[in-house]
Amino acid sequence: MGFLDILLSGQLLFAALVTGALYALVALGLNLVYGTMRVLNVAHGDLVMLGAYAAFYAFSMAGWSPLLAAPLIAAIGGLAGYALYTSVFRRLLDVGALNATRLEGNSLLLFFGISILVQNVAAAVFTPNNQGYQYLSEIHQLGTVSMTGNRIAALLIAGAACAAIAVFLGRSVSGLALRAVIERREAAYVVGVNVDRVQAMSFVLGFGTAALGGVLISMLEQFSPFSGFPFTIAGFIVIILGGLGNIGAGLAAALLLGAIETYGVALTSANLRSVLLYGVFVGSLLVFPRGIFRRPGRT
Amino acid sequence: MHRYAWLLAVAAAVAVLAALPFFANAYIVGVGLTILMWIALTQSWCVLSQMTGYVSLGHVVFYGIGAYLAVVTWQQAPLALVVPAAGALAAAFAAIVGLPVLRVRGPYFVILTFGLAELVKYSIMAYESASGTASRILFGTPELTSVYFMMFGLAAAAIVLLEVVSRSRFGHGLRSLRENEEAAETLGVPIVRYKLLAFVLSAAIPGMVGAVMAMRSTYFVVVQAFDPMVSITVIAMAILGGGDSSRGPLLGVLFLSILSELLWAQAPTLYMIVLGAILVVFVLLIPGGLVGLLEKREKRRRTRPDAPAVFE
Repeated sequence: MGFLDILLSGQLLFAALVTGALYALVALGLNLVYGTMRVLNVAHGDLVMLGAYAAFYAFSMAGWSPLLAAPLIAAIGGLAGYALYTSVFRRLLDVGALNATRLEGNSLLLFFGISILVQNVAAAVFTPNNQGYQYLSEIHQLGTVSMTGNRIAALLIAGAACAAIAVFLGRSVSGLALRAVIERREAAYVVGVNVDRVQAMSFVLGFGTAALGGVLISMLEQFSPFSGFPFTIAGFIVIILGGLGNIGAGLAAALLLGAIETYGVALTSANLRSVLLYGVFVGSLLVFPRGIFRRPGRT
Repeated sequence: MHRYAWLLAVAAAVAVLAALPFFANAYIVGVGLTILMWIALTQSWCVLSQMTGYVSLGHVVFYGIGAYLAVVTWQQAPLALVVPAAGALAAAFAAIVGLPVLRVRGPYFVILTFGLAELVKYSIMAYESASGTASRILFGTPELTSVYFMMFGLAAAAIVLLEVVSRSRFGHGLRSLRENEEAAETLGVPIVRYKLLAFVLSAAIPGMVGAVMAMRSTYFVVVQAFDPMVSITVIAMAILGGGDSSRGPLLGVLFLSILSELLWAQAPTLYMIVLGAILVVFVLLIPGGLVGLLEKREKRRRTRPDAPAVFE
């Protein structure tokens, strides 16, 4: 296949769209939690991994279709986010402990520690091996493009979830309040936003979308207790490129990353998938060395 | 801890470690080698990360580069040349990537260094698999004793380096930029040059450590030489020890290297769980580390005898 054929193949375009939509969904959740905590949750990808395991066990033990289990698993993820917020993070955010200079560099180590804990407890409980299952793997033909049912389902569900959250954030009062808190927490508080409720909401949405993303990914590829971290990296790239709280640009960045990964692998070899992911990551941090915060207004 | 007690403990530890190969069996010497390796890695990490507050989560990249050079040039160049060359290569790598990387601050620096190490790892893996070498076997590696004494030298060099930097004008400059980079720059500290120099200095020793450790085993795989767990262990050791000198990290090494020796090979999952728990507990609850705890106790003991006198 020639260079141009690769670029113009609908097959690849479809694959890039699926990857991009999944990245967008995961990044959206990371964006919400990151925006409220102001500390990168390195363990976000591990939530995705746990969602994948939940779907796997629901399918293989109880015989539940992942599509039916998805809302339930997302709800459990959201509940877990709520519980974690009320039990731990509400207090930490109130006293500003996570933003204190003492923790500035160390805050990330804290989440690295949590991530290592989650991954290895998962490895002890689920075994460290790759898992996977077959669901909706029949092939549908659309013109010259052949697509498996599970990929179509993943694309549609991830796209719908992203669109629903984008509409919620852009149109509803609660959504606008959430964005206000992400942009200026103190100012939002002054104008009467219920910051506590909004932060709880962002944790629920963030954790819920991560779990949903995990369910969708489990239908498409094999996963292990350690496959969450690349999704954290992907989500972080999307946030760096798209900006904090900027949903539209984030969506574009996610599709771009999906395209870079898919076309990059197609043009070179599968060995380069991780090289591409980390290369884009390092490159985008070097171009935007201050990460995503526009710091001047920070008080 | 009393100052003389500390000096005495260090002298005793040095004497035991220096004499170890003459009376202990191979297993114990292996444990000693592991401890020396962690000392060299942690102390060199401190030259950048403890002094400047730029917490690197990618220290293993230098180790891996050194190990890779040693393996690629195996039996084609004398060891006396390869080990320093590995240090020079790692330092050169730090010098090249240093300027852009050190512009990134705080939590972003942490994750960037992690990503950079992974990028180098996957790049070399892709190159190796493209050229058809998945793993390599080394023949004629030197005896354990000579590997041990090379590592002994590197560990000593790392401690001396940190102590010298820490007491120098350069070291005070690094501390000042840790406390407030803008203020330090305003006062005339050449922060860009200082940060880069600290980064390069902290890279040379792990490069040589990697080259020496490559000879320890006869089998080489890229994934192992660039294992991110090395970086995480180094950070855990430094945080566990705490403080602002070579002392804390040494205590951290002592506590953790036995654990890594016992668990890493046999029960890696359990080891990682312990490591994760240490990171969480120490960052959240004991940010001063063991040295902080000791100092607090010391202060309490020193003030206690005076306290009753006031009330009498």
